Amino acid sequence: MITLTALRAFDVPIQTPCITPENFTGKSLAEIKVLPVTEGVRNLTLGDLFKIEETNDGTSNITINGDCAKVKRVGQGMKTGEITVNGNIGMHTGEKMAGGKIIVNGNAGGWTGSEMKKGTIEIHGDAGDYTASPYRGNDLGMKGGLITVDGNVGTDVGCYNQGGVIKIKGNAGRFLGFHMSDGAIYVEKDVDVRAGALMTGGKIVVGGKMEILPSFTIDNVKPKVKVDSETNVAGPFYVFLGDLSEKGTGKIFANKAANPAFKFYEKYL
Amino acid sequence: MTEILIKNGFVVDPLNKINCEKMDIAIKNGKVVAKVNEKNAQVIDAAGLTVMAGGVDIHSHVAGAEVNMGRMIRPEDHYKDPVRKTALTRCGTGYSIPSTFVTGYRYSEMGYTSVFNGSVAALKAKHAHEELNDIPLMDKATYILTGDWWFVLENLAKGDVDECARLVAWLMRATKGYAIKIVNPGGLESWGFGRNVHSIDDPVPNFGITPREIMRGLIKVNKKLNMPHTIHLHTNNLGVPGNYQTTLDTMKAFEDLSTDGKPVAHITHIQFASFKGENWGKFKSGAEEIAKYMNAHNHMTLDMGQVTFSDTTTMTADGPFEFSLYELGGHNKWVNSDVETESSGGIIPFHYKKNSPVNALQWSIGLEIALLIKDPWKIFMTTDHPNGGPFYDYPKVLAWLYSKKAREATLKKCHKSAKKKSLLPSIDRELSLYEIAIMTRAGTAKALGLPDKGHLGVGADADVAIFNINPETLDISQKFRTARKAFANAAYTIKDGTIVVKDGQVVNSQIPGRTFWVDAETKDPCKIDDEMKRKFRDYWTIEFENYPVTDHYVKVSDRLERKASV
Amino acid sequence: MSKIINNVVCPICGCLCDDLEVTVKNNEIVKMKNGCAVCEAKMVHGYKSEERILKPMIRKNGKLEPVSMDEAVKKAAQILTDAKYPLLFGWSSTVNEAQRIGVELAEELGSALDNCCSVCHGPSVMATQEVGIPAATLGQIRHRADLIVYWACNPWTSHPRHVERYTAFTDGRFEGSEWKSYMNKMKASASRKKMDIASKRIEREEAQINPQVEVNGPPPQTLQKPGRKMIVVDVRKTMSAEAADYFMQIEPNRDYDVIEALRCIVQDQELDVEKVGGVPVEYLREVADAMMKCEFGVIYFGLGMTQSLGRFRNIEVAIALARDLNRKTKFIISPMRGHFNVTGANQVFAWQTGYPYAIDFSQGYPQFNPGENTAVDLLKREDNDATLVISADPGAHFPSVVMKNMMKHPLITINPDMNAISRLGDVVFPTQWCGIEYVGTAYRMDSVPITLKKVVEAPPGVLTDEELLSKILAEVREIKKKRGLPVGLTEQKIVHTEPIEPPRVCPAPVTKPKPKKVVKKKKEAA
Ligand code: SF4
Ligand SMILES: [Zn+2]
Repeated sequence: MITLTALRAFDVPIQTPCITPENFTGKSLAEIKVLPVTEGVRNLTLGDLFKIEETNDGTSNITINGDCAKVKRVGQGMKTGEITVNGNIGMHTGEKMAGGKIIVNGNAGGWTGSEMKKGTIEIHGDAGDYTASPYRGNDLGMKGGLITVDGNVGTDVGCYNQGGVIKIKGNAGRFLGFHMSDGAIYVEKDVDVRAGALMTGGKIVVGGKMEILPSFTIDNVKPKVKVDSETNVAGPFYVFLGDLSEKGTGKIFANKAANPAFKFYEKYL
Repeated sequence: MTEILIKNGFVVDPLNKINCEKMDIAIKNGKVVAKVNEKNAQVIDAAGLTVMAGGVDIHSHVAGAEVNMGRMIRPEDHYKDPVRKTALTRCGTGYSIPSTFVTGYRYSEMGYTSVFNGSVAALKAKHAHEELNDIPLMDKATYILTGDWWFVLENLAKGDVDECARLVAWLMRATKGYAIKIVNPGGLESWGFGRNVHSIDDPVPNFGITPREIMRGLIKVNKKLNMPHTIHLHTNNLGVPGNYQTTLDTMKAFEDLSTDGKPVAHITHIQFASFKGENWGKFKSGAEEIAKYMNAHNHMTLDMGQVTFSDTTTMTADGPFEFSLYELGGHNKWVNSDVETESSGGIIPFHYKKNSPVNALQWSIGLEIALLIKDPWKIFMTTDHPNGGPFYDYPKVLAWLYSKKAREATLKKCHKSAKKKSLLPSIDRELSLYEIAIMTRAGTAKALGLPDKGHLGVGADADVAIFNINPETLDISQKFRTARKAFANAAYTIKDGTIVVKDGQVVNSQIPGRTFWVDAETKDPCKIDDEMKRKFRDYWTIEFENYPVTDHYVKVSDRLERKASV
Repeated sequence: MSKIINNVVCPICGCLCDDLEVTVKNNEIVKMKNGCAVCEAKMVHGYKSEERILKPMIRKNGKLEPVSMDEAVKKAAQILTDAKYPLLFGWSSTVNEAQRIGVELAEELGSALDNCCSVCHGPSVMATQEVGIPAATLGQIRHRADLIVYWACNPWTSHPRHVERYTAFTDGRFEGSEWKSYMNKMKASASRKKMDIASKRIEREEAQINPQVEVNGPPPQTLQKPGRKMIVVDVRKTMSAEAADYFMQIEPNRDYDVIEALRCIVQDQELDVEKVGGVPVEYLREVADAMMKCEFGVIYFGLGMTQSLGRFRNIEVAIALARDLNRKTKFIISPMRGHFNVTGANQVFAWQTGYPYAIDFSQGYPQFNPGENTAVDLLKREDNDATLVISADPGAHFPSVVMKNMMKHPLITINPDMNAISRLGDVVFPTQWCGIEYVGTAYRMDSVPITLKKVVEAPPGVLTDEELLSKILAEVREIKKKRGLPVGLTEQKIVHTEPIEPPRVCPAPVTKPKPKKVVKKKKEAA
């Protein structure tokens, strides 16, 4: 196991796509120390920014200590192993991840788990905007895997989701699950406006307050809903179908008790 | 100025009828000369290498409003292909629509030294020239969309070919353009109200003219102006199943216009115009019919528009075509870009897949036509970059042309319906280096009317490509991958007498390249009086005086003077 | 002795009107014809303001003091090369030629590069990246459009000549102006003074209610009739709304919902709700009908849509609406780009790097991501430790926390006059007014390139943006070389000439094919 400890507080963005378990595998400590990173415009090495130590437990797992809110692209494209961050972490963490696990004991920046294919990301704080959403211009959202967030998430989370599962214990920002076609998003508390906008498939389950776009239509009321094999949520829920403007068949499950304003929809049932 | 001596290479120079002969090429002051003093010259030992003139691309979308819109809407495309800055080169991004500097570098790395920009609307010609200036290491020129320019429609409808010619001469001068480009004649004007024309005899709404009359009229104009290139034509009904018939009708409509046996029109990206079958389900290849016609006639040239199976971006001035492509479904973005009084346009990102029956057959059609047309001086190699695939897929296309083995390897992976319909298994032809040189430089230079390009005779521009191919020891058809790699990474590229690429790497990026444009001098200039200016103000939203592309916009200008017969 | 210069281009808003007639006397513009009031204010008066910077300045002991150009350039280059992560921002009010050098400078520094569009129409660009856009040049609208929708914009004040030059009030080949009489009336009554008052009124954003148009009443019958019609959709009643055939007032931040409702109606979907954004669904149905029935429709949208809740998603669905309408008729949608060359900045950045704005060069190649590399976001996170602002006054658009963070670090400014941002600069450069004092290229809101003219001489010693940036770039390279860092090559520069009629000065190339001589062969000894 490799432990990286920030040598100082970082004031400009740092890009470290080199921090992945597979990239560390088979490298000596000296070799890891000279892996290229950038701090702002400067080309530096990993050893310039982090104290690097090795514990011989036979794995290439990585632990990162310190406030790394400005450190970007940790675990980009990782396939196996584990990264644990004790502190905050910056943007693009676990981007294009294809396996393994990332645990963040702090907040994660935007685009965490962007275009993720497989694996797990556990965030024990908040997650930024565009968590689990694809890069600009792309419609290839999260394909699979699981992201859990204990805190709140920003806007545009889970866009173009094609099969991933996202579970959020706190609140979610607007445009949750934008244009998603499959997979599931579960938010335990409130969701800002325009959840499920342009969705064509998949499901969004909301335990708290929310708003429904005019381009959704009421389908029925369900007592409970299954998010994935592990999570069943008790309702009852209003079930909305949409987004009609995309001829979509996505489903939004809105908690009945938390959303008394939706009562008028019942006349269509 | 440096002198260069390329020694002992196998020279392939079809315009001078030299086929893989071992000889030296001497270069001085940016030109090929009879000899140089070996002591003063930089000597390139080309023993065991193939030496050709620099490549001349006859149709590629590298600059202008449409291309740049394509760049802007595809961050995800660039994201996967970043290009680092070096001490010699600028940074940028690539994939299907590379940034301008990267475009120049990548062409040069393949031994190309000239590129002709597929289409530009006159109103936005300044934009195209600004971008062309930023494409280093290449000579360039741009075609101007003329077929739906209102002045052309009006004058041809009146039957006034002479006045039309005078206006087109002005247009070429005003836009620093090189050739008359016609895209879906009449269709672009119709698209102004969301409609299209569906045959060469469909009337164009509001203008009392047909596509046939536009095309024939502009061929006459082209001749009267004595333009270096023929009209450059993107046919009606492009990309529509069954359109090979329209293409044949179009070619037949020009037969009587060729009087001296020379070509009168160039149909670009013929692959997209050679579809048979009434609909996509019954989609078939029209290659045989097109090739048969081409083998019996001499009044046309073509380029392939080969599909290369990549995630690319389609872009054309053919607005209605792009919309119908969008309507086929499966695309997340569609751009339409009409240009007042002149043109339309559209962009759609497109991923050609081997397992799609239509895409796979399109791939086959392009190759079928190129191989079934016997005379390589009639059909040139392009991908209609980026429409069929990016230009740096050219080595792949060449491999399919010179190696049946390469074709089979790809066909094996294609959709089974395409496999069944493809004519490729029945075609044994494999192109020689000589034929490849024709399809990529000699033939294109000739079709474009560039006497100093595409060959290595004395007086030619010193644009040279040297490839790591030894024709005596390497059987390119068998070892197609080795040769493909050699074409992708030129051993040397020489531009205007300077070595700019070595071993597939840019070693000098400071040669800007020239911009060719045509200045056809008519006996009387077109009348530019107040009446004309008033009309201009009615037709366009910018003033007449602000329309032309001034000198300001051409970094290194190369004016081709022509004497017109009107 | 005065001279009249014709076809001068107005370097103010995205309309780039190119028909101005300017009278120059003693190297001063004394009169201007054809332009709007905004244009007159700048072209005749504004550019010679007393706030004009004439010498470079450096902040010493908290005070700006004039210094030589060399000293200022050295200082600026020093700041930029010392910084760990500089930001170059602005670019919307300068010409392409300068923007080109700007990209090269950013690339050499490895810095962040962003243009003003990130605080105006950047969301429009982002939306285009998601769904594309059916667009057209302005003339296409003039000739053909019979339905013109202004959504969340007020051309009357932001683009004063947009309506009269390009859309509802113009005569095209196929669509005439239904507003001839209205125009004449307006022209007769609205003297310049009145216009001035009007524009001032709008600046204070006071809603003017015209009793003739009932706010949010049902659409009039005329909306379904042939002929040119204009609809304005906005959250408040503007001058433009008063001129419209129908004004649809919607609740703030509800653009997205209203557009989505329209999209559903266009696609024959039933809505469960009765009102969207405060508008009864029946009214929306009639508006949708008008959109589907027209021959050629267009939606122009403004900052009210790009900068309100939902930002680029609003545009995304608006574009989707226009796209869907193309299945029924011809429909176009376009942003009302503000600054005269913000479009050009996007274009130049895109052709040189692949990306229109929000670019980071720190990896040695361009990376793009609005939200990550946009100036506001960078500064909000305090990622930069030096800023260069050129041809922009971001103070007005940037949130105060962003300004505060910017001020914590050195600031270099390049602007012709002492605007708010220049007052805050540590190194303050003067520059020429492009389009008045020097020539260059700008792109109209519909991406039509137009050459700006030079009508008067700049004050002595004041450089163009292009010259100034080239100097800074050269100095940056010097410093990097001294530090033993690799530097890029300086590209050959284009020699500029005044734009004139197509010239015939280039050397005539060979036109006749020369008899081809075969290269002398050195036959191998057999
Ligand atoms: S509308 Fe804009 S460009 Fe035209 S004159 Fe007024 S400010 Fe200038
Ligand atoms: Zn083309």
